[in-house]
Amino acid sequence: MLRRLAVLCLSVTMPLGLCAAQRPSLHFSGQAIPLLTTSNAVPGGASRSEARMVQPVLMLEGAALGDHLQLHAMGDFEGWTMEHGQLATGAYGEGYYDRRHPHTYVHELMLTGADVLGPAGGRIVVSVSAGKGFAPFGTDDPMSRPVMLYPANHHLAQILERAVAVAAVTAGPVTVEGGTFDGDEPEYPSQWPKWNRFGDSWALRVSGRPVSGLEAQVSRAHVHSPEHRQGAGTDQEKWSASARWERDVAGRPAYALAEWARTAEAGGAYLLHSALVEGAYWLGRYRPYFRLERTDRTEDQRVFGEPFQSVRPHLDSSILGMTRWTISTLGAQVLAWHRSAVSFGPTAEVAFANVTKLGGGVFDPRVFYGRTSFTTLTVGVRVDWRMAGHRMGYYRGTPTHHEMTMPMDHDHPEP
Amino acid sequence: MPRRVAPLLLCILVAGCGGTTPPVSDSVAATSGDVQTDTVARVLPAPLVVTVRGQGGNPATGVPVAWVVQSGGGSVAATTVTDASGQASATWTLGPIAGAQAVHVTAGGGSVTFTATALPDAPTQASKNAGDKQNAAPGAALPVPYAVLVQDRFGNPVPGVTVNWAAAAGQGSVSPAAGVTGAGGVATTVHTLGPTLGDDTVTATVPVLAVTLTFVSTGLRQVILVATVPIPANYGIHDTFVRDGIAFVCAWNTGVMIFDVGNATYGGSPSNPQRITTIATAGGEAHNAWWFWNGASKQYLFVGQEGPGGIGSSSQGDIHVLDVSNLASPVEVATFHLPGAGTHNFWMDESAKILYAAYYNQGVVALDVSGTLSGDLSARLIDSLRIGGPGNTYTWGVQLYGGSLYAVDMLSGFWQLNTAAGHLSIAAGGNNVPERYGSDLWVANGYAYTGTWGGVFRTANVTGNAVKIWQLGVGGAPTLVDSIITTGIATVSDVEVSSNGKLLMFSAENGPNAGFHFYSLADPAHPTFLYKYLVGTGVHTATLGYIGGRVYAFGAKDPASPALIILDVTSLTQ
Repeated sequence: MLRRLAVLCLSVTMPLGLCAAQRPSLHFSGQAIPLLTTSNAVPGGASRSEARMVQPVLMLEGAALGDHLQLHAMGDFEGWTMEHGQLATGAYGEGYYDRRHPHTYVHELMLTGADVLGPAGGRIVVSVSAGKGFAPFGTDDPMSRPVMLYPANHHLAQILERAVAVAAVTAGPVTVEGGTFDGDEPEYPSQWPKWNRFGDSWALRVSGRPVSGLEAQVSRAHVHSPEHRQGAGTDQEKWSASARWERDVAGRPAYALAEWARTAEAGGAYLLHSALVEGAYWLGRYRPYFRLERTDRTEDQRVFGEPFQSVRPHLDSSILGMTRWTISTLGAQVLAWHRSAVSFGPTAEVAFANVTKLGGGVFDPRVFYGRTSFTTLTVGVRVDWRMAGHRMGYYRGTPTHHEMTMPMDHDHPEP
Repeated sequence: MPRRVAPLLLCILVAGCGGTTPPVSDSVAATSGDVQTDTVARVLPAPLVVTVRGQGGNPATGVPVAWVVQSGGGSVAATTVTDASGQASATWTLGPIAGAQAVHVTAGGGSVTFTATALPDAPTQASKNAGDKQNAAPGAALPVPYAVLVQDRFGNPVPGVTVNWAAAAGQGSVSPAAGVTGAGGVATTVHTLGPTLGDDTVTATVPVLAVTLTFVSTGLRQVILVATVPIPANYGIHDTFVRDGIAFVCAWNTGVMIFDVGNATYGGSPSNPQRITTIATAGGEAHNAWWFWNGASKQYLFVGQEGPGGIGSSSQGDIHVLDVSNLASPVEVATFHLPGAGTHNFWMDESAKILYAAYYNQGVVALDVSGTLSGDLSARLIDSLRIGGPGNTYTWGVQLYGGSLYAVDMLSGFWQLNTAAGHLSIAAGGNNVPERYGSDLWVANGYAYTGTWGGVFRTANVTGNAVKIWQLGVGGAPTLVDSIITTGIATVSDVEVSSNGKLLMFSAENGPNAGFHFYSLADPAHPTFLYKYLVGTGVHTATLGYIGGRVYAFGAKDPASPALIILDVTSLTQ
């Protein structure tokens, strides 16, 4: 698989070898969040508390040939630290329910040929990328956003960990990204994308930055059989629209995101919507934040004795029903200690959730959970080493490690 | 070691380099009596004679001769010195051990060995040597052949002795029925057990001894895995329809895989299925099938497409009709589409040529499938009945029995329907399994057996681990009389009763006890457990097939590593 990735990467970046050699650069960074979560969003009416190390990642960004050749690589070690996922109210995907799945060890390994036209392109910047990473769809990965627990809409609003080839064209404030990738989502941390499915899915994202600090995007994707690796499952048609705002207010960094996502599966048999608003603001050493989310999800048959996991692939192609999750999260982070490149940010957040049955179907959340309202409390410490809010999943050919703003640093240049 | 080798080397060197002359020994040779054959413990007919010669080759007189029995345990009576002609002789009585025997003779500086072959004595005894007291399924050939050992009075095996074999009446067969002992004194036969449970007897008679030995083995209820056929992981394997030695395996987007499992046309058998062909129906999602010969010239295969749906709220999936007159080259010829609903399991009134189809989100549909089928079959719709009403109908299966059509619905339970040439109406039942969701059904013996589905709890912490047992009244109305509860499963996904009414089989999935479960219907109202054959990843459906006088269970191993599992369950049907 690595060889295939290498071939894919080189095939799109080889022309850059013609560029004049310049001194390459490497930038290492990382983060991790040890946390404790207690929640009653547990099947059967119980409560559960778990301590986990989440988002333990190491990132390497490299640039050469005058930033014309860029490397984005991230190792994610959640397969070791949270092998069976993380309590996360309303979250679902990759065979998990009410738990956020561990990501794959090779979370991102992308090679980008940035501004391949060079001066000949004039004001148009064209970049091509290939490797394992994010499809050009939706919003920033939740890992790079203020709230510790992932939103329920992660699988509606992002497409990641795929073998992907992306072309990005930026003209002034507008960027158009198109990519093709394999539709199959990972099933376990050490799994690679299914190479022979590369190209069976596509995504397109149009982004604009009309004013300083504001970025809006609209995305569209076709994902073939994401939940059946061999490709016999149902397809998804996905839409996403969002506005991301980030600038200083009263001399302090502020951040806000509003997004809408829609996934139609099985020819429209299942329609899932999500709306999400979140924001954060630095008050000295303190950063309060919030997230409001309403997300629909399908309910699949659970594994016997493992109510947090679904039968994969699920039998036949029927679902048990759909539910709508309304989740309000409030939290605050304090920058407790900051020495050179390492910072520690104790963080606490509480999420209040409510679930309702959506339409017909046999899944009754009141029977399944024994309740329909949930409370989840999480305390943790953000440990950050030179990563500080890096915006993941963009291969536009812009400078590699200057896209970071929230949640930790106070320096937030334009992406 | 070097310290031991050194003197030896020294001796060799001394011997090789010295100038002394070696002593000249008398020579001894066998004159007569060597290489004789006779029965053990007998005196060989010819004496053993040696001649000893001195230097120059002249007979040596008065030379001492030593006779020693080297092997076989016999004895010699001999002269101890040579006579005037240089000869000495001995009488050799063979020992009791059959085979090669030897006498070693030394005289002067030489020696010679006499050999003889001792044959077994006459047979005096016979005994059971192997194979007695085995267990197997009735009708199965025992894995270890029965063996009789014939020996002489010394225990030597005696070859060439005739042994006759005979199975007691109704207790199977033997092959061969007669034989002779081999070099090892053993004669064998293979016992194929009789068709019934219990002890089966075979006698072995040795006429020359007037001895009869009795072998007894037992026919027990057993399930034998005869084949595992991998199915492409193209959303796996779903239902299987078996008739006349042909298995139609519905393998979702792979299509319908047609196997010869004992039809004799394509050389297949249950233990060696031969795939005839695979045909992908339009839209894929092949879930279940029914093979129908319309009595004229066409053979049709009705294939159910199970499309995406939300259980209890929506569904889709059509009936696809394949012309399988040529099994090796089927052709899709017709479809039936019902908006907003998806088909599930079938049953046919083959004499009336009416196909009854359970429909998710629609209930029960009756189709006229007489004559030639082609194109859109919408005009063939006779009737449909949403048995539980809107929002309460998601029908899993149907079956004709005793003039009624029975249907089990995931939401609204077990129903008795009237059907008049396909025109449907409710007779009795319904809304009678409130704590669980329904699944499959089978009706036999005046009783019905319905499964339950447990993809999700209908009642807190109650899974679909039940088989409901319904007694059918005089008019066929069902009354719940008992339930089988199986721990460690989430769903009973398929139910079937054997054609002789003695065996209840159901498949189970999702849980540590997933697999095949078998119950005796000696009391059809209260089945008793017989056997379970566990399949870790679960069995999605299970179907009985009757091939060559035996009964086989065809199971769909799903969802991981999908495979068609074939079990010989004949012994369970007795």
